[in-house]
Amino acid sequence: ISSHISHLYLTSPYRMILSTIKHHRCFCIELILYVCVNQLLAGAPFGTTRSKTIPKEHLASAQDLDTIWSLGGYLQYSVLFYGYYGRVRKIGSAGYRLPLAYFLVGMAVFAYSFIILLRKMAKNSRLSLASASDENFTFCWRVFCAWDYLIGNPEAAESKGAAIVNNIREAIVEEQEKKKDTSLAVLISLRILANILVLLSLAGSIYIIYFVVDRSQKLEQEKPELTLWEKNEVSVVVSLITMIAPSAFELVAQLEMYHPRTSLRFQLARVLVLYLGNLYSLIIALLDKVNSMSSAVQVSLSNWTDSSSYLATISQPEGDSPSTLVSEISVFEHHNSTIATIATVLYVTNSSRSSSGTVSNQTVLFEKNSRSQQDQCWETYVGQEMLKLSIIDMIFTVASILLIDFIRGLVVRYLSDCCCWDLESKFPEYGEFKIAENVLHLIYNQGMIWMGAFFSPCLPAFNVLKLIGLMYLRSWAVLTCNVPHQQVFRASRSNNFYLAMLLFMLFLCMLPTIFAIVRYRPSQHCGPFSGQEKIYDIISETVASDFPLWFSKVMSYVTSPVVVLPALLLLFMLIYYLQAIARSLKFTNNQLRMQLQTERTEDKKKVFQMAAARLQAPEAAADKKPDQLESDITSQEVSIHSPSPRHNGSITNIRSPVHRGNSIRTITQSASRADLNRSVAGSVRSPAVTVLPKHRLEHIPNRPPPLLGGSSGTCRSKSYHYMAYNPPSHCSDSIHSDPLYRKTIRSLHPVEAAGIITAQSYGGRRGHATRYVIVNEHEPRKKLLRSATRIPRHYLMEEPAEILELYPRNVRRYTPRTAHHQPHSEEEEEQGKGRKRMSSGKAHRPRSLSDLHQPAHFYIGDRVESHMTVAKDSHTARRRYGAQEDDEEEDARAGHNESYPKSRTRPKLETPLTESDSASLASSSDQQNSSTDQYIQVIHNKERYLKSEARQGKMAKKKSKTSFDLNATGSKDLVCSNV
Amino acid sequence: MGNKQTTFTDEQLEAFQDCTFFTRKEILRLHSRYRELAPHLVPLDYTNNPDIRVPLALIVTMPELKENPFRDRIVETFSEDGQGNLSFNDFVDMFSALCETSPRELKTIYAFKIYDFNRDNFICKDDLQQTLTLLTKGELTEDEVLLVCDKALEEADLDGDSKLSFSDFQNMISKAPDFLSNFHIRI
Repeated sequence: ISSHISHLYLTSPYRMILSTIKHHRCFCIELILYVCVNQLLAGAPFGTTRSKTIPKEHLASAQDLDTIWSLGGYLQYSVLFYGYYGRVRKIGSAGYRLPLAYFLVGMAVFAYSFIILLRKMAKNSRLSLASASDENFTFCWRVFCAWDYLIGNPEAAESKGAAIVNNIREAIVEEQEKKKDTSLAVLISLRILANILVLLSLAGSIYIIYFVVDRSQKLEQEKPELTLWEKNEVSVVVSLITMIAPSAFELVAQLEMYHPRTSLRFQLARVLVLYLGNLYSLIIALLDKVNSMSSAVQVSLSNWTDSSSYLATISQPEGDSPSTLVSEISVFEHHNSTIATIATVLYVTNSSRSSSGTVSNQTVLFEKNSRSQQDQCWETYVGQEMLKLSIIDMIFTVASILLIDFIRGLVVRYLSDCCCWDLESKFPEYGEFKIAENVLHLIYNQGMIWMGAFFSPCLPAFNVLKLIGLMYLRSWAVLTCNVPHQQVFRASRSNNFYLAMLLFMLFLCMLPTIFAIVRYRPSQHCGPFSGQEKIYDIISETVASDFPLWFSKVMSYVTSPVVVLPALLLLFMLIYYLQAIARSLKFTNNQLRMQLQTERTEDKKKVFQMAAARLQAPEAAADKKPDQLESDITSQEVSIHSPSPRHNGSITNIRSPVHRGNSIRTITQSASRADLNRSVAGSVRSPAVTVLPKHRLEHIPNRPPPLLGGSSGTCRSKSYHYMAYNPPSHCSDSIHSDPLYRKTIRSLHPVEAAGIITAQSYGGRRGHATRYVIVNEHEPRKKLLRSATRIPRHYLMEEPAEILELYPRNVRRYTPRTAHHQPHSEEEEEQGKGRKRMSSGKAHRPRSLSDLHQPAHFYIGDRVESHMTVAKDSHTARRRYGAQEDDEEEDARAGHNESYPKSRTRPKLETPLTESDSASLASSSDQQNSSTDQYIQVIHNKERYLKSEARQGKMAKKKSKTSFDLNATGSKDLVCSNV
Repeated sequence: MGNKQTTFTDEQLEAFQDCTFFTRKEILRLHSRYRELAPHLVPLDYTNNPDIRVPLALIVTMPELKENPFRDRIVETFSEDGQGNLSFNDFVDMFSALCETSPRELKTIYAFKIYDFNRDNFICKDDLQQTLTLLTKGELTEDEVLLVCDKALEEADLDGDSKLSFSDFQNMISKAPDFLSNFHIRI
């Protein structure tokens, strides 16, 4: 049963609403207490004025439980109700203006409620906006991120577990709802039926309430003594309806087969309408009564003096004068109001007459009449009814908790053994704690307060006490004898849903009060506003009498149409303006959100492409293989130099003039550059990371160098090259080499895995490198092959022409993110793209897509080995050349930005040095320079082209140096790789 | 045996500080906690790096782990031998990875390992099922568990191999709002 604590996790709206209500009510109570206390302290004490005295005829029964129960007797003439407050304009030595205070406080309560609610809602919506995110991973998050590892106490663990189960269930049900589909016709007819049922029950409840109020009035008039039931009929019926109807609605809602959340909302809406309907029909019935009462009073008063004699004659048949009077009044009333009213008045007068005994002359009669009118303090009456309703509601709630929850719980728990079916899971079960309904009940209570507070100033105080008590009772019941709701659905993620209901309630409950205040004439002989035409006259009166003349003048101006109309206009304009702003903000907001979304989807795409790259890796391997074979020279050199993959590059260089031209050259250079950087860093780990890119680098695409340079990471630029590189290689692919290559790759993987662990320590050095490793480790090799089928379409979609555009974009976007945790995916993606394009471009090559393998997997050590095997038969001379190149690179790395070596070596290797070659040299040099600052390079590239010729001279100088470096660097690299 | 029994040498402490997110004091406290688990096994003096391992059964009695449904997996993940026997180094490693200051990436890595029950570097359906069973203590029915597993895979598996690779997992976790706040243990 302790798992029911999970309720507590779910009752946040309940608690929130409660706290809101309490908070605001405390303020109201303060205000009202202020009035009450002032009245008590400074006002005339009990019994000094007529409105504070219990009529003699009632004094005898004033302390009867019966009377007190119906809030009559002493209670009726206490601070609880409107009628008690005096009408004296200023009381006490401080001149406390009680009527004014009463009115202002009444209004302030409404205003304050509005403000508090709106503020709370605004805050909530701000919060909910801030945390708004599309739930992409509903289930995953609920599984992987649900457990709070901090939990160390068994109870908390248990409730957390229950909450998690609930959460998951909710998600499941939601998922199931998506799938469910029944025949539409049946569904629609069922829903229509359900709605008709609900409407009927709503109408029924309203009718019943109206009927009961009517009946109680009649009873009051007909019988002098009412039974307990008759007195409380109205509130009991209202409470019963509020209790039973929601369950009925729930039954009906099962017919509809809505999604649980929708049905919950429907349920809430219906219950709210029901509550409102109850309150409204009650208040309307009451006001109806008030109407008759006040009109009767009014009539009798206005007509008393002038028409009495005349009436007396008319009413001759009635007999004695008092009765004449009565009949006269009744006649008048007959003219302008209902028979029921007449009856009331008759009854009232009758009772007063009988009690006072002597009915001889007019003065006595008048006295009596006024007396009866005092009894007829309609405000007090309304207040009494509201308070009664509140009390009865409390009793019913307590009873329902005890009966429906506690007793049922006991029965189910202890009688399940001696029953033929399982009580716990079949019929009675345990009660459920229905959050939504309970919240609504709170709202209903609050609505009652708003309706009655003006007429019964202590109603809020009473209600606070009641709700506090109920809260503890409820929480006890929830913890001991309730089970969690079967389907836990929050009506809305933001708590604003309930607050909005509360606001709605406030508005609707304020209306009758305001209506009564504005429409009805206050009672003549009780309450602070007695003797005034309208309640709000107190304001104008105060302004006129208690403020300096100029103020009343100003006020008269301010309230004149001349000011009010423009002010209204201004308000409208302001509203319109604000709305326009809000709309535009919303628009921007939407746009931003869309942008975010696209970013996110692109992220996803990247991951896909990463996988694609994976699957392409084999192909890359194949590509490389031929290359390597061809360029045995280079590989040889590699064996010497260990990790520097540039041997490939050198080959390309050689060939590049033939195939492509200059751009290739550049790329190689940049790759080497990266190499240099790494070696400078000198960390053992780095080689592994950087090596990968290098492999790719060698192959330079036709793409203009600026783009390549633009990317901030050297690795990235390399990857491009690699893809582009494929074309040259494929012409000379050697099939037999493929298997070998793959094998090496496989063997590498363990190493990579090992790399992961180290990865965390990389941290500052090279964010992307670290991640790269991680990705490699976990990425499934097998997956690549399978995903090949899937991924291609992404790539295929991209036209070769797009490449140029894409890169710049990528670069722009990624540069700021290098430190971010996902760079690896970007890199991968780029690579993938590049390759894809390549492959798509070359239709003649069938295996391009599937075979590509990620060169990135190579670790230096392994790499070297493979190279060695391959390179055995390579020509030493070429090797030499490659070494030289390496050295050059080394130099560049050492900090010389000038690029030189290329040109020098070239002549040796390739006899035909074409124009393009020279260009390539230039570009390569550029790359080297730019590796330190990529952006600059982009700009400079063109110029450099031109300059390249000039530079060659410089390069020549360095030649000697490079050759010298060669040996040293080579050995160094080798060491690194071995490690 | 004075009051000042040296548990670690300065170098050891330095090394621990470098490798973890803990301060000197915290490491000493960790040691005392570690020792509490098995006073007869763990010596006070650690200066000579004794090769002592505390078995899983003892580790999981720590109040920090006792209520955790994944306690066994956590301990296994961090133990060098994979059996759940923790040397002091493993012990410190564990709480370092789970402490508040450790970065999201590291936590993601270890979370992945913890949830990867069969240690094949993928979170497959079986792993998910086990996770769920532990998490909900078997309160969900078979069908529900299967459904949740399918859904979770569907959501997070980007490459369609019906299991979660680390990159899938990382991608999913990186967007989870409360992963960081939930995935840590205060010692």
